Amino acid sequence: MTPLLEIAGLTKRFGGLAALDGLDLAVAEGEIVSVIGPNGAGKTTLFNTMTGLYGPDQGDVRFEGQSVVGLKPNQITRLGISRTFQTVHLFPNMTVLENAMVGQHCRGRAGLVSSVLRLPAQRNEEERIRDRARDCLSFFGGRLSGYRHDQPAFTLSYANRRRLEISRALATEPKLLLLDEPTAGMNPKETLELTDQIWRLRKDRGLTILVIEHDMRVVKGVSDRVVALDYGKKIAEGTYEEVAHNERVIEAYLGRKAAAG
Amino acid sequence: MTMARSELRRRAVRAGLLAAVAIVYLCLVGMVQAFSTRNIVGGNLPLSRILLLLPSAVAASLAVRPRVRGGVTMELNMGEAAGAGASIGLIAGAAVAVGIGIVNLIGQEAVRGVFNAVTSALMLTLTLQRSTVVGTAILVALSTATGALFALAGVLAPRLRRPIVTGLTVVLLMGMLQSVVRVMLVQLGLATQWLYSVTFGGLTYLGAVASFAAGMAAARLWALRREAAAADAAERAEAGGRPRIPRAMLLVPVGFVLLALPALLGTFLSAVLGQVGIFVLMGLGLNIVVGYAGLLDLGYVAFFAVGAYATGVLTAAVNSGSSLHPGLPFLLAVPIVVLIAVAAGLLIGGPVLRLRGDYLAIVTLGFGEIARVLVTSDWLKSFLGGAQGLIAIPAPTMSVGGLHIDFRNPQPFYYLALGFCLLAAFVSWRLANSRVGRAWNAMREDEQVAEAMGVSTVRYKLLAFACGAAIGSLGGALFAVQIGSLAPSSFVFFISIQSLAIIILGGMGSIPGVIVGALVLVGLPGFLTEFAEYQPLIYGAVLVAIMLYRPEGLIPNVRRTRELHEEEVEQDAWLEGVPEPAPSMTLGEAVE
Ligand SMILES: Nc1ncnc2c1ncn2[C@@H]1O[C@H](COP(=O)(O)OP(=O)(O)OP(=O)(O)O)[C@@H](O)[C@H]1O
Ligand SMILES: [Mg+2]
Repeated sequence: MTPLLEIAGLTKRFGGLAALDGLDLAVAEGEIVSVIGPNGAGKTTLFNTMTGLYGPDQGDVRFEGQSVVGLKPNQITRLGISRTFQTVHLFPNMTVLENAMVGQHCRGRAGLVSSVLRLPAQRNEEERIRDRARDCLSFFGGRLSGYRHDQPAFTLSYANRRRLEISRALATEPKLLLLDEPTAGMNPKETLELTDQIWRLRKDRGLTILVIEHDMRVVKGVSDRVVALDYGKKIAEGTYEEVAHNERVIEAYLGRKAAAG
Repeated sequence: MTMARSELRRRAVRAGLLAAVAIVYLCLVGMVQAFSTRNIVGGNLPLSRILLLLPSAVAASLAVRPRVRGGVTMELNMGEAAGAGASIGLIAGAAVAVGIGIVNLIGQEAVRGVFNAVTSALMLTLTLQRSTVVGTAILVALSTATGALFALAGVLAPRLRRPIVTGLTVVLLMGMLQSVVRVMLVQLGLATQWLYSVTFGGLTYLGAVASFAAGMAAARLWALRREAAAADAAERAEAGGRPRIPRAMLLVPVGFVLLALPALLGTFLSAVLGQVGIFVLMGLGLNIVVGYAGLLDLGYVAFFAVGAYATGVLTAAVNSGSSLHPGLPFLLAVPIVVLIAVAAGLLIGGPVLRLRGDYLAIVTLGFGEIARVLVTSDWLKSFLGGAQGLIAIPAPTMSVGGLHIDFRNPQPFYYLALGFCLLAAFVSWRLANSRVGRAWNAMREDEQVAEAMGVSTVRYKLLAFACGAAIGSLGGALFAVQIGSLAPSSFVFFISIQSLAIIILGGMGSIPGVIVGALVLVGLPGFLTEFAEYQPLIYGAVLVAIMLYRPEGLIPNVRRTRELHEEEVEQDAWLEGVPEPAPSMTLGEAVE
């Protein structure tokens, strides 16, 4: 069976710097894979290239056997890859519910004419979009539900903004979910909670998940497999135990630290 | 907490100087004198006098508003406020006095060489028709008193201040719009003598008091209604029901008024309303592009031109200056005009897809100029008439039961404009609350993220340009009908600015805001012919004032208000429960 996601020889350069350097990676359906690596290793660039924000210089990204290179971000989202951002990017002045409803956009069809005439099909669709958006928000229990639906996103706490970003990504009905440091800025209790929720995303919603994470307890808690990057190259891959004790990985982290200190 | 003495003094002096600059400026551009014959109340309060005192009043009431410094609200007590207001008024009045002195010293003729508005009539207006010394003294005293009074109003609780301000505004409006209101009352067969003075033209004292009371009552009612609505909404949220009185019911009286207006207002005022209608369409169209989709278009006049010229060419039957004269009936031409405008919108939208913000504004500005150059050009002369433009554009006509209606006449034209505006407003409203509107909104908030969340930004940008062009072209079509001939000189950059000013004043993304904006910026200068000369000046002042004090516009879109008064309200998480004392673990620590 072909893997859900197949990345081959992916290279992305910024000027002279290769943020991704011939990266190979395959993710099977239903897997949770963590991507780790020191700052500037190219993790976010990997997500950006996969989702069409950057065009790669070389290599290929295949999703369900089909190459997504050259597609626009919105087309890739429609195919079933959705993501969150390392620095939270909500639509701050839209309400919580509207944010999630934007996620549902790519699963709707209503255009200009049917919106103006409010045809029955459009009304049903709008109803459905609303229901699904609510459902995605309810994934986090009461945190984003009830009266919160009508609050503008900028009033949310930091942790809730991260949750809303995940809900919005869920609302696009993805098959593959990309989470970029989902626990950054969360307190330990919330981090633990989210670790659990990442599991549930797979269990309840059948998602395949690729997660960039710095907190090793989260990595340990959620990953079937861990991939370590450094300077845009894969330096280790395997179970958490294997990667965490890998010489090159430790060197990459400590080396960077020594150089920075 | 009260404010430090020195800070208060500094603030008062600054406000006073600003008011002084404003007054002197208004005198020198001739605005004060221009309004000296329009009495507002009785024979002693012409608009010119109000204008002389207005800067002090505004400066005083704004200067004493409570302010938040470092998280502490600083308020003034009544005494401090009155003192500050009096000094503001005094500074402003003194500036005028100094001005009068200088003019007398150098001689009027010499000054007139530079400032030609300095006439003996102006000097008389400034000195309140009295001798120089006495008049100036009275003016300074009045200015000081006004400053003190309005400063006191400024520190009143909003609950008291709002009715007073509304009352005064109503008096001013009733006085300024005397021609409009009087005509309406006469048409309704009501007496006007008690309200408007026959000798002076302005409000009678009784009329002024009645207007003030009506304004206060309206403000109070409005406040009560808002409270009731808030309570109602809370109740409804619990019950999950619908509002008791459907809002559609409120539209019935509004509809009656809208339909009755031309009969009440007569020809001249209906013509002004027709003009307002044209700019409501321009505002609604631009509102989609700028307000909904966030694409700053400074060349919107291009679509106005497309609509007007397309209508002109398509409906012309005789030789109108264009080699084409298919002579289509107006209503048949309109859909074609809209299609042409959509094509133009896509044509302009295409090249600017990648541009944002300032760059987009500059390029669209260029497109607006290109439109003007194209209609003037010899290249299209045979179709569009070149510099001579198009003439003999027929007015749509209709016969109802032997009654012949010519839509160029202001009253029928009003209905035509009303129909178009209602259609455009309906379309805007439906779009705003739909999947399309949501996509535009997301794009306006963050284009890249909207794209990443599955919104095709290319498609929705083009859609916004096309919708905006279609609605704007309706404004152009009406314009062609209204004046019957088109010249390139009608399609200048100022039209784009006017449209933008309308939506900024009314509130970006707000449909009622567009209507109010057009009424204020196009209607008022139309009703008050003295204003016409100072229109650009008033536009500038209004825009600066709005940007400083109410950036969300007069009738804001809910979302825009949030955006501009963003307060970070941290809600849970950090406060909820004590975090467990398990620090996060980095890889370094994990392997050690
Ligand atoms: N748009 C860009 N333009 C230029 N350089 C970039 C750009 N995006 C990323 N880079 C560079 O590419 C390298 C990889 O960046 P990337 O953001 O992918 O790192 P990361 O692994 O996500 O790091 P972090 O843990 O800090 O998030 C860095 O050196 C960064 O400076
Ligand atoms: Mg990163």
